[in-house]
This record gives sequence, C-alpha cells and structure tokens, in this order.
Amino acid sequence: MPYLIVHEDKCIGCRTCEMVCSLSHEGVVNPDLSRIHVLGYKGEKFPIMCLQCEDAPCELVCPMEAIHMQGGIRIVDDEKCIRCKMCTLVCPIGGVLYDYINHQMIRCDLCGGDPQCVKYCPMNVIELVPDDAVPEARKRGVRILYGEAD
Amino acid sequence: MVMFGYTGKILFVDLGSKTLRTEPTEKYAKDFLGGRGIATRILYENPDALVFMTGPLTSFVPSGSRMDVVAVSPVTGLIGGSSTGGEFPSALKFAGYDGIVITGKSEKPVYLRIENGEVSIESAEELWGLNVFDTIEALTHGHPDLRVACIGRAGENGVKFAGISFSHRNLASRGGLGTVMGAKKLKAILVHGTEGTKPYNPVELMSVFEEIQESIISSGEFLRFKDWHVNFIPTILKLRMPYFGDYEREWEKAEEAAMKAREWFEEHTVGRASCFSCPLRCWGLVKYDGETLPINLCQGTFPAATFTLKTEDPELAWRIYRKCQSEGLDMMSTVAVVAYASRLGLVELGTEEVLEMIEKIVTRQGEGDILAEGIKRASEHFGVPAVYVKGGMESWSSDVRPFVGSALISAVADSGSVNRALYGFPEFYYYIKKEQAEMMATRFVGDVEAAYPWSYSESKVRFAVLWENLHIIADSLGVCVIALLTTPLKLWAKAYEAVTGEKITEQELMTVAERTRTLERLFTLKHGDRKDDLSPRLFRDEPKLDREKLEGMKRVYYSLRGWDENGVPKPETIEKLGLGDLV
Ligand code: SF4
Ligand code: SF4
Repeated sequence: MPYLIVHEDKCIGCRTCEMVCSLSHEGVVNPDLSRIHVLGYKGEKFPIMCLQCEDAPCELVCPMEAIHMQGGIRIVDDEKCIRCKMCTLVCPIGGVLYDYINHQMIRCDLCGGDPQCVKYCPMNVIELVPDDAVPEARKRGVRILYGEAD
Repeated sequence: MVMFGYTGKILFVDLGSKTLRTEPTEKYAKDFLGGRGIATRILYENPDALVFMTGPLTSFVPSGSRMDVVAVSPVTGLIGGSSTGGEFPSALKFAGYDGIVITGKSEKPVYLRIENGEVSIESAEELWGLNVFDTIEALTHGHPDLRVACIGRAGENGVKFAGISFSHRNLASRGGLGTVMGAKKLKAILVHGTEGTKPYNPVELMSVFEEIQESIISSGEFLRFKDWHVNFIPTILKLRMPYFGDYEREWEKAEEAAMKAREWFEEHTVGRASCFSCPLRCWGLVKYDGETLPINLCQGTFPAATFTLKTEDPELAWRIYRKCQSEGLDMMSTVAVVAYASRLGLVELGTEEVLEMIEKIVTRQGEGDILAEGIKRASEHFGVPAVYVKGGMESWSSDVRPFVGSALISAVADSGSVNRALYGFPEFYYYIKKEQAEMMATRFVGDVEAAYPWSYSESKVRFAVLWENLHIIADSLGVCVIALLTTPLKLWAKAYEAVTGEKITEQELMTVAERTRTLERLFTLKHGDRKDDLSPRLFRDEPKLDREKLEGMKRVYYSLRGWDENGVPKPETIEKLGLGDLV
C-alpha cells in the first residue's frame, strides 16, 4: 500500500503544499485547514502529514470505531464521529486535525490516490511510495522526529 | 456583495483618536486592483497615512506573497514606496483584511494586534528601544504562527532611512517608511489569521496555478537562484553594476573581495528558503557565529557592504548586513551615507569603524545625528557635495552611469528609486547575457537597440515605460515582480479571473498601471517639484551620460505617459484614466 514520505532536506518552506491541499479539499487557501503542515524545527522546514500507521493510535483510541482503513487510506466515518477529538491527541505527529470552520475531523486522504502536494511541490519534497519502501521511510521519519537530519 | 479573492475590507486605524473603522475594498478595486495601486489612491487623499496593501492575488498564486507599503517619504517629501514578501501579507488576508491604513500619531508607543478580524491597540512601552530581532522574539515567543511587522531603533529614533521589517528577513526598506511608522509611535503590527481566503473558482485556480508554477520553474530565474548566494557577488562585477566607496569607479581589490565572499557563502550557506507560495527560493540561510539568518543577495545587501563600503573581509560584511537588518535600516541608504562620511574623513571603510558609525547613526550621536538626516541634508550641512537621486534619496546601490535606461528612470521616478521600476530590465544583464537581452528587446519593443545599456533610443524609453508598468502590475496584484517577469502576463490575467471571478485583459492591466503611474505623478506635482526630474549631479557630469540626449529621452517618456513637455499629465490623459474626480 502506498503512502507519503518526505525528503525534508529539499524543502524551502514555501507552503505550496498547504495551499493546494486546502484548495483541493476545501476550495479555500487556508494553511490551518491543510492536512499537510510545514513545520520549522531547528531552523529547518519540512512538511508533515498522516503517515498511515500500521497499528494506528488514532484508530485504536476512537471510542466510536469511526476510523478505519479503506483501500490503503485511513478515513474517518463522519456519521459515526462524535468530534471528541481524541484522535488529535494520540497521533504522534499531529496527523489528524479538527476543521473549526466545517466542524469535522480532517486528515490526509492521499487525495484518493493522486496527492496534490506531491504534484505541486516545486522541490519534489513529497513522494508517494509503495510500502516496500518502508524501511527507508521509517528511518527518515525517525530522523525528522528527532531533528537529526544531516 | 461578496468579493472573491479580496477579503473585502481595509482597516483604518487612527492612532491619534485611537479609533478603528473599515472601508470596503470594492470602492477602489476596479480602478486600482490592489497593492501599489490602491495604496497610492488612498495616500493621494490621506497624505498623513502609512498604507499597507495586499493585492487580489496575494495568498493565491505562486509567488503571490506580497504587499505594498507607501507613505510620504520623510526624505523626499514625495511618495515613498516599497514592497515586501514573506508571510505577513498572506497572514493579513487570512485575518480578514486586504490592507491597513494608519493615520494620526500616538502619544505613547503602541502596537497593533489583529487576530481574525479582532483589532486592538496595545501598549508598546516595553518594546520601545528593542531592535528588530528582539521585538519579534518578544511578540511571538512560543507562537510561530504570529506574523510581525515592526521597526527597530532606527525607525524609533527618526533615522530618515529606516525601513519596516517583516520577520528577520523581508524589509520594506526604501523611502524611510520605518521613520514614518516611528513618528506615529507605532512599534509593531502583529497579525494572526486562520480564516483563509476564498477564490471564485478553486478548480480553475489550481489549473492556472500549475501553469504559472511550470512557467516559473522553467525560467532562467529558477535555475539561477539555485546557487544564487554563492555566485551573485562575482556576477554583479561582471554586470558592471557596483560602484566603490563614494561613487568611485574602480577598486583594485574588488575581484579579490568578490572571490572571498563567494567562498564564504559556500562555506556558510546551510539551506534555501522562499516566501509564502513561492517556488523561487531566493533566500539563502546563512549560519554564522551560532546563528542562522536569511539573506537575499540583491545589490543592496551584502554586495553593497562589500563593494560600496570596500569591505574585503566577508565576516565584516556579514556583520554590517546583520547590523542593518537588526536595526531596521535600509541598507542601500546606509552604505551610501557611510561611504559619504568616509569622504569627510569620519570613518575608514573596510574597518570595524563602519559598525561604530552605523551605531552612531542609529543612536544619533555626534556626526551620526546629522548623517541620520540622509545624504542630502548631510551634504548641505557639511558643504561637501554628495550624489543622490530625486528629492534627496540616496541612490540605488548600483552605478547607473553605464545604464542609460536607469538614469532616465531615476530622473522621472515618483515612488522610490529605480528598483521599483526596473528590476530585471534587460540592459542590466547585457554584459553577461547579450543574446538574451537582445531577444527581449526585439520581442517587446521591436528594436534590438533597446537592449544596449548605452543607447538613448526612443525604443529604450518605450521599453522602460513597459517595464515600469509591469512592476506596477506586480506590485498591485500582490505578486513578486521576479516571478511576474518570468511568466506571460496573460497567465496572471487568467489567475485574476479564477481568483476574483472578474475578467481582465492584458491591456486592462496596463491601463491600471498607467492610471497608477499618472496618479503618482499627480501626487508629486501636488507635494513636490517636477524640477527634480534630473539624474544626480555627479552622474550627469560623467562624460558617459549625455545630458542633452537624456533630456530628449525624458520628453519621449512624458509623451508616452500622456504628460506635457514639463512632465505634467495632460487634462485629456487625466480624463481618459478616470482621475478627473481626484484633481
Ligand atoms: S493520523 Fe496519525 S496516528 Fe492516525 S494513522 Fe495517521 S499518522 Fe498514524
Ligand atoms: S511545497 Fe514542497 S518545498 Fe514547499 S513547503 Fe511544501 S514540501 Fe516544502
């Protein structure tokens, strides 16, 4: 199953990914409603988004069993969701968000298989990879989390 | 009516009476678009105002990061205009305002807080006296999404060439806008916005976005910016742009200093960065002495410290850059003033004394107090002539003598100096990219001569007018001019339509530019003197610039603008541009 990885060393912090994410999902430009977020860490910038965990804390914590995998993409069932926002607390990388304008949980849905951030990032920072790229991606994830990118 | 693209409101703040109100952007949008156009229009009726104005494309398109800032320049008494990118302009729109107009003066230091439509005027007693970096830290500590516009000590102390700083990097630098902000006792504006901006047609916008981005990425600019920092300093020597010291043409150590600077940037650059929405990554992140700071290498920053201040040692040049950034000083003016001071024997260039002199200017001690008044007033005081452009503004940090087009524009400009009209003008890169310059001249004005730096041709004037217009369009749409010039105007017009839902043609964009340009001229006539339409004295005396021919070009320029032979807009031009009600 494919998911997104980040080549953080190439990022220029332009936030184009946030712009097109909110434009394509919400029809507005609003970095705060983007499902991908450009963070600064020790002077470097890079985007972070849901990494489609295997044993996903968001899914496990959900009291309504509203979160589940569908075709390799983890989605929230809006009917079942009671907006308790527990999933936003347990995600280790801030991958789930509460959309305070439309009052719903939002998260990276890989744009149904054609992620717009991948398409529009001018520096090719974000890549959709098949899951046999797991080992490399995991190492990258750890380096990002602990700020040890070289 | 719901406006797409715009937030629909301009915030008016009167610091004297501490009152707030808004005006609909719609009132000005049709005739003046946004940014520089609307800001000029508002200033025309409120000469006391400091105006910050985004454009309709700000926050929506690649390189749509910008905002224009205008006020009456304390140096020239004419329009002082400058543009800024970074994160602040889009954040202002996300907070619900297209622009901010500050009038009146506060008695005590204040700062303005704008959070999603809620506005308050807060005490800035504790911020007063802080430099730019410390002010930003004090206001945003722990909140990385807050955006700040502020002045440093230079603006507080009335140094006539203080700019307005937007974060650690962008500076609306020219014309003394920070001085105006300081006189109003406004230390900072803090913005936080999470409301987003709404385009008319998101699907269409995404498609134009892609087209524009592709166009920018396939441009020479995008390639060039990859190693911009490392290569720029030697390159500008080849472009024949720098002057040395107080307008000297030669400096025997120039090559060596350029190579040292190049090596220094190679060693200290740790990354690249862009403004909001921009693929160009023209900012370099430099790590020095444990601190990482962004720098954009234009003629007026590090290269000006190197060449104008004859600084061989790149570390010293960097410290001069850092000093100017942290105090909120326009570096182009600062280096011109310090170089002038060296002629008076007040400072030795290339030494630590330069940093001490800048400190004296910022704190207005000793001769620093007179130099802080700007080069014109200093030269009147000391009785030693100096070079300056219109109204007494320090010249651009480049030598206009080998470039006739820029000599013309520095004579006729009404808002800032040539960098507000001629960035990217093909004559500037003639000495390194002859074929490209010739191709551009042929394509745009049908005459290869317009590419020659030394040419006084009529086509050169037409080219300069067109270039000025393109700058005004970029500054009014809210798009960075560097990006705008890489991409056909029709794509920007297409983006405007997707964003606002209103059709616009390239010709209509040009008309907005002409209207704005003529309004700038009308402002000058109301507040200044057209006799100022002369290029600087020392430049004129240079045998390479022919004064008679330059006068001839000026007459062509006036007639292309629909102005009379004295540079006064003709009644029919005023009528045609719909400015009749204003004058
Ligand atoms: S939202 Fe967070 S916890 Fe849930 S799958 Fe994505 S990364 Fe994992
Ligand atoms: S679009 Fe690419 S370069 Fe720009 S912030 Fe996002 S990941 Fe970084």
